[in-house]
Amino acid sequence: MRILVVEDEKKVASFLKKGLEEEYYAVDCAFDGEEALFMVEANEYDLVLLDIMLPKIDGLEVLKGVRDKGLTFPVLMLTAKDSVEDVVRGLDAGGDDYLTKPFAFAELLARVRALLRRQEREAAGELRVADLILDPATHTVSREGQEIDLTAKEYALLEYLMRHVNRVVTRTMISEHVWDYHFDPMTNVIDVYVNHLRNKIELDSSRRLIHTIRGVGYMLQDKG
Amino acid sequence: MIAFKTIKFKLTLWYVVIVGIILSSFSFFLYFTLADSLYKGVDNKIKTMAEIIASSTNRPFGAGPSIADLDRIMTERFGIRPLGRFVQILDESGRVDGSSTNLRDAQIPISVQTLKAASKGQTTFETVQVMGKYPLRVVTMPIMVDTRMVGIVQVGNSLEGVEEALRQLLLILLIAVPAALLITSAGGLFLANKALRPVDEITQIARRIGSGDLNQRIRIKRVNDELGRLAATFNEMIAKLEGSFRQVKRFTADASHELKTPLTILRGEVEVGLKKRRALKEYQRILNSNLEEINRMSRIVEDLLILSRADMGELTMEREETELSALAREVWEDLQILARKKKVQLKFVGDGSTRVEGDPLFLRQLILNLTENGLKYTPPGGEVALKVEGDRDQGVARILVSDTGVGIAPKDQKRVFDRFFRADKARSRETGGTGLGLSICQWIAQAHEGRIAVRSTVGKGSTFTVTLPLKN
Repeated sequence: MRILVVEDEKKVASFLKKGLEEEYYAVDCAFDGEEALFMVEANEYDLVLLDIMLPKIDGLEVLKGVRDKGLTFPVLMLTAKDSVEDVVRGLDAGGDDYLTKPFAFAELLARVRALLRRQEREAAGELRVADLILDPATHTVSREGQEIDLTAKEYALLEYLMRHVNRVVTRTMISEHVWDYHFDPMTNVIDVYVNHLRNKIELDSSRRLIHTIRGVGYMLQDKG
Repeated sequence: MIAFKTIKFKLTLWYVVIVGIILSSFSFFLYFTLADSLYKGVDNKIKTMAEIIASSTNRPFGAGPSIADLDRIMTERFGIRPLGRFVQILDESGRVDGSSTNLRDAQIPISVQTLKAASKGQTTFETVQVMGKYPLRVVTMPIMVDTRMVGIVQVGNSLEGVEEALRQLLLILLIAVPAALLITSAGGLFLANKALRPVDEITQIARRIGSGDLNQRIRIKRVNDELGRLAATFNEMIAKLEGSFRQVKRFTADASHELKTPLTILRGEVEVGLKKRRALKEYQRILNSNLEEINRMSRIVEDLLILSRADMGELTMEREETELSALAREVWEDLQILARKKKVQLKFVGDGSTRVEGDPLFLRQLILNLTENGLKYTPPGGEVALKVEGDRDQGVARILVSDTGVGIAPKDQKRVFDRFFRADKARSRETGGTGLGLSICQWIAQAHEGRIAVRSTVGKGSTFTVTLPLKN
């Protein structure tokens, strides 16, 4: 899952990026409204954290611009303004949720998970494909009751595939939602990670879950 | 009972009382003037008739024969029918000689006094009660031949018409005046209501404002009358109140926002840091960053405290003789290290006597804030000049701080003294500014009966000028 953090206060942006990356999200930062509008057009984000008071272009204007462009990713607004009018204005401008500063980081993470879940219209809790289980809250993965140790990137890749079960996922989609701004499209990094992931979740045993669709990408399937 | 104390009721009452007095005096005057003129009219009529009869009766009547047909004779002779008038002729001794037929058997009485007066040749008017319920007005006039009285003529006229007319008038007045007063009081109440409705509206709006809704305004229909002016004044007052409330609200919101940013950083960094075990270097980085934010918060709180105590009038200024150029030189010396670190040249010029009366601590802070600001916004290789000059002609001392920094856009120049206003938010945060420094400078200048102003060109630099009154 790829997240854009729009925040002019460098230290806030920095701890948000660090904290979210430790939760296996791919995170980019924009420090003003102009940069934010450029980034949301250039990349595919699953969620945007948006500060309201921004230099150059105000956060609410950014939000309107985003929605005018037909971009529908969830937007979680982060701001020090906590009056009812401010909250209403923010939500009416196209925001999906509102968190006032200073906030508890655990709450921010829970809201991020809730918004991503809502986007995919999924029930809360674990993701299941056949006997493979992934818990987004604890970042644990298991198959046949056996816990599997994954690296951050492997985990993010698996979560993305599981959220798009039985659908073909192209390499471009993976690069846009699992990797951040610094991804180099000329390498075969994705294929390498998919192979690592296969080796870990398909063990010696059982059925194959990750199928290669030649010339297109990959698909996670829950039946034979 | 409250209703009787209202202005509405008092106004109506006054109105009714005044109209009542006017109407009663008018009625009184009308009644008595009319009565007088009606009685005089009767007197004139009977006197005229008596004169005519007297001047011509000495022969036809005076001879003594009974005159049973006085009516006929009168009709023939004078063309007057004595309708409603009674005529009686007496001889010189007072005996009835003849009378008009309408008197029938009755007699017009004659008193001794009247008879005596007649014998002296005097005419007498009397009101007597003869018959019926209405009195009779009688004139008694001697008939004279040469200077001797030969007889007496009496002409009477019933006062029925007059009294009836006056009774009617009195009745009309007794009904009409109270009716008019009733209508007047209703009208007065209506007018008072209409005139005082804006007052009720003002009261209601004042009540709503009392409950905290400062958006309310009184709708002014008539601009130029007293209530219109009252409403306009009231509206101005609310607008001023609303303005200062909004200012306080904005200041509070700004202050809480300013404090929330470092709090967010502190909380976020600590929470993320505690999520898992980290390297010692990482902990040191977090603690250093936290210390920075704590320092920033202390500075904001200190500045806020100075300003709020200044607003409350709790800060007392010392009033002592202070040499500005000495203070400025100290500041200049203190800031040399910072200037060298920033590779900015910091100059000092002291010119003339700059003795002012004021608080050296606050004046020092004023100079320090301005000079530090200049250093903050000037890029390496630039220059900041601190100049203090005395102007004997104008009786002022000036502190001028010029820099070769980024400058301030014209639209921002007025606002730089506003609390928490920052022309460049990001830069101000990086340099550790609280956004309150210039507000404090402005307050210090004003507390010393001085002024502070800024001139600036974007890209070239700014000059802040503080003008303070010189001590003689």
